[in-house]
Amino acid sequence: MAAAGGQKRERWRPPRGRHRLPPEVIARSQRERLLEAAVRVVAEKGYTATTVADLTREAGISRTTFYAMFDDKEGCFLAAYDGIVDVLVRRVTAAYEAEEGWPSRARAGLAALLEALAEEPEIARLAMVEVGAAGPTAQRRYRAALQRLTPFFDEGRDFAPGGRNLPANTSRMAIGAVAGLISDEVTEGRAEYLPSLLSEVLFATLVPYIGPAAATREVGVTK
Amino acid sequence: MMKVLRSFQPTWDGLMASESRRDLILAAMIRVVGSKGYKETSVADVIEEAGTSRTTFYKHFEDKHECFLAAYEVLVEQVFAEVVAECDGTQSWLQRVENGLATIVKLFALDPDLARTAVVEVAAAGAEARQMHWDAVARFTEYLEGGRELSNGRELPENISLMSAGAVSGLIFDELLAGRATQLPGMLPDLLFAMLVPYIGPAAAAEEMRRVAAAT
Repeated sequence: MAAAGGQKRERWRPPRGRHRLPPEVIARSQRERLLEAAVRVVAEKGYTATTVADLTREAGISRTTFYAMFDDKEGCFLAAYDGIVDVLVRRVTAAYEAEEGWPSRARAGLAALLEALAEEPEIARLAMVEVGAAGPTAQRRYRAALQRLTPFFDEGRDFAPGGRNLPANTSRMAIGAVAGLISDEVTEGRAEYLPSLLSEVLFATLVPYIGPAAATREVGVTK
Repeated sequence: MMKVLRSFQPTWDGLMASESRRDLILAAMIRVVGSKGYKETSVADVIEEAGTSRTTFYKHFEDKHECFLAAYEVLVEQVFAEVVAECDGTQSWLQRVENGLATIVKLFALDPDLARTAVVEVAAAGAEARQMHWDAVARFTEYLEGGRELSNGRELPENISLMSAGAVSGLIFDELLAGRATQLPGMLPDLLFAMLVPYIGPAAAAEEMRRVAAAT
């Protein structure tokens, strides 16, 4: 694998279209440049091999500027990670809330998530795979990021007959199933094909609440 | 609990008491990574724990990473052997899933360092290690393919066992990350629900969950 900056690569940029990043995130401040650089370099080299020197070179800032903003590589990575998760959650929320009825809402939210990850395969790798290499704090941050999706899943309780009797952990299970399917694709280097996984991911979301028969039906009818 | 303790301990002690210095190093690697974390673990830590020399270490392994991969392979084989020992061909699919999950959570509760290495720290050890972890999860869930029989011939997604695996390993991961390995056996009813629900639906899965909860 070529070292970061060793070849001409397309720069990471915010997702296009109406879900564009808010202006305060786009601002080309040094901090933002650094966070973007962290995403690119870590996605390319892997977290462990990435050094602070890689980050400052890629961002075009000095070491002094780096250490004025962050204590170390981990702090910088975590800030970059939080930024990514914020964007993803915002896109999922917007898509989810634009629909009526839980299965359609779930479908729209999941489709938005898969599309966002497929648009930026390096972000998908960072968000789902490399985060595991960045230590216990980052791993906790990853699990916490997944839990931010809980409200979307838990609406299934009101939708499902007998949903109130489901285990308290039902949303965590469904999220784990969805994350497992996505991680598997991303680990195998197939992030750009994630949107084709929508039927399975929707099934995994619906099934703990409404069972396999109804989930199969909903996957077939909701559009 | 005792059953697993009896069946697992000899394997482990066997490895620990092994004549082979290589095995001593592998066992030490699993323990040290589980307690210190993969990143923080050095070759010096491992040889100190194993009671071997640096020369011996480098006679068997290129570096920490290669040693970890070898140790992880041994770990997976041992856990899998424990699971298989508790399951046989005469058991129903449901019984096999329940016994398999019960075996794993008991093992993990008995040996939190091993559990952390197996589930959490492996993510920090590079792409190859992550692949080994995922292969191990897939291997366990292949046991589940019998679940299709219970779905009354209904067409289920091809990768349904990956969903069960993701749900179960997510719950276990969270408990280990929070330092609650010893409380994992109490999660068994929930884990069983997560494993069964894609195949048999929430009503039937909740019934199994309540049955297991009442029995423990």
